[in-house]
Amino acid sequence: MGDAFRRAESGTQRVSSFFSLKLLARLEGRSSLKNLEPNLFAEEGSPVHGDVIEFHGPEGTGKTEMLYHLIARCIIPKSGGGLEVEVMFIDTDYHFDMLRLVTILEHRLGQSTEETMKCCLGRLFLVNCNSSTQLLLTLYSLENMFCTHPSLCLLILDSISAFYWIDRSNGGESLNSQEMNLKKCANLLEKLVREHHLALFATTQSLMQKSTNPSESFFPVKLQHEIDADYRPYLCKSWQQMVTYRIFFSKPFNSSNSKAFTFVSCHLKRNHAVKRSFTVSECGVQF
Amino acid sequence: MVVLRAGLCPGLTEEMIQVLRANNIRTVVDFVSSDLEDVAQSCSLSYKALVAVRRVLLAQFSAFPTNGADLYEELKSSTAILPTGSPSLDQLLDTGLYTGEVTELAGAPGSGKTQVCLSIAASVSLGLRQHVFFLDSTGGFTASRLYQILQARVEDKEEQLEAMQRVQVVRVFDVYEMLRALHEVRDCLSQQVESSTGPLKAVLIDSVSAVLSPLLGGRQSEGVAIMMQLARELKALAKEFSVAVVVTNQVTKDSSTGALKSALGRSWSFVPNTRVLLQGRASPWEDSTVPRTACLAKSPRQPTGMQVQLDIGSDDVQEQRPVTPTP
Repeated sequence: MGDAFRRAESGTQRVSSFFSLKLLARLEGRSSLKNLEPNLFAEEGSPVHGDVIEFHGPEGTGKTEMLYHLIARCIIPKSGGGLEVEVMFIDTDYHFDMLRLVTILEHRLGQSTEETMKCCLGRLFLVNCNSSTQLLLTLYSLENMFCTHPSLCLLILDSISAFYWIDRSNGGESLNSQEMNLKKCANLLEKLVREHHLALFATTQSLMQKSTNPSESFFPVKLQHEIDADYRPYLCKSWQQMVTYRIFFSKPFNSSNSKAFTFVSCHLKRNHAVKRSFTVSECGVQF
Repeated sequence: MVVLRAGLCPGLTEEMIQVLRANNIRTVVDFVSSDLEDVAQSCSLSYKALVAVRRVLLAQFSAFPTNGADLYEELKSSTAILPTGSPSLDQLLDTGLYTGEVTELAGAPGSGKTQVCLSIAASVSLGLRQHVFFLDSTGGFTASRLYQILQARVEDKEEQLEAMQRVQVVRVFDVYEMLRALHEVRDCLSQQVESSTGPLKAVLIDSVSAVLSPLLGGRQSEGVAIMMQLARELKALAKEFSVAVVVTNQVTKDSSTGALKSALGRSWSFVPNTRVLLQGRASPWEDSTVPRTACLAKSPRQPTGMQVQLDIGSDDVQEQRPVTPTP
């Protein structure tokens, strides 16, 4: 009986130390994302909590592959070289391919058991949204989850442009009502990212053609020669203003290597830009 | 946009709604996004009651996150790979059509889009004994051709007929009819009515461009919005019910490079998970020994740019025998 009592006691102790650990984690802030993927960012090298990173590009330029790469980096345990943090993936395009992610993980975990795989995937949360209204309400409901999961560091939204045409047509003549939901989503995202110290990665699809009028360029003069992106901002102002990094993905045309991709990463607040290339193979993105 | 009304959720009373409406809170979004402390004060409602209503509304109208490990378990049991009836095409697609995905076959007239669709229908209904839903928007579906393909693959008449019966064909001639037909499929699947449709594994749409092209162009965005609605419908069908969706599309020349690409513009280009470009004889009267080719233009698994010869078409019907159309 004494033994059982002791066991029960140590059990409560474990519970209480678990709670204080949780509290500590909360107070200390989220774990560092410093080693997430330095190659993605210009000079100073890493996203900090509170950063909003936009992936922009036409289809088939490696945006989604890069997201899988980031997810893998996050959910692989520290012992396997990962960051061991949790990720929330909001899928608005029914686009997320779990089997692909598992293939990438299998390659990176090496000799791993089913148990390790499960453990990694347990750090990933997925939610599908089917309209901008549902996205907004889901963001509100996720607030609670960010509070209770201190190791949830990364929020991914693929893509934030998914409802653009449908909202535009539902909004009638007024631009304000066309953009209403997205604007509210952007404001709420900004608040979530700030208050819960998250890093947000969101993709935008290049739905619009580049303006042919050179005076309508969206880049600082200093960067213009480096960026030859097919880019024209079309999402609401609130979103445009909160983005700290914009990364333009492209696929060189007529390249002999079908697996080669390039991107230009711009730090919008400091006017830095860097151009890099990467390849995609069975085991995912490689620099 | 859901308007607040009595009975929408427990705790939300008619008086509450009246007071809220007077304070310009009319919809679920208005309610959820307002500061409830302010609302409680200005409407003199109970803060506790408001918080409870908010919680219920959020649970009702927001999407719920699933854990990656659980989703993986689910996928392991629900994902199937369907053969297309063409070994070379299967190889291009990494063993076949994956359920849960939208696959696009793009090509000029005569490149073999409809033939590939018929071949898929035959393999799924004959080989896997699963049901197929064929949405025909061009009038290109011919039962006799499907029957020919089945005859070339199996001797037994009984089996041929059973396979024919597992292919359900619906003719639609505009996008609204197409959406209605897809809604019916979805209703059947969600009610698990096994009667006429049975376990459905493939939805084939030949073609999407036929119903979508007339809506596009000009300065209006409504056409694009309807197109994206259809895209959403197809992707939801594929994911939620583990069905392989195949659509066919026309091709256009890229204005800057001159290369062939699939039609319907940029917004559509993001829709399919996998895209195969089919190329065939430039015109029907050209030498029919020139092989058709299939090139992988987009894939979540395989490197793009891979190209194979399409072993499909006339060669699986060895002899031209008189065909009896099925009832």
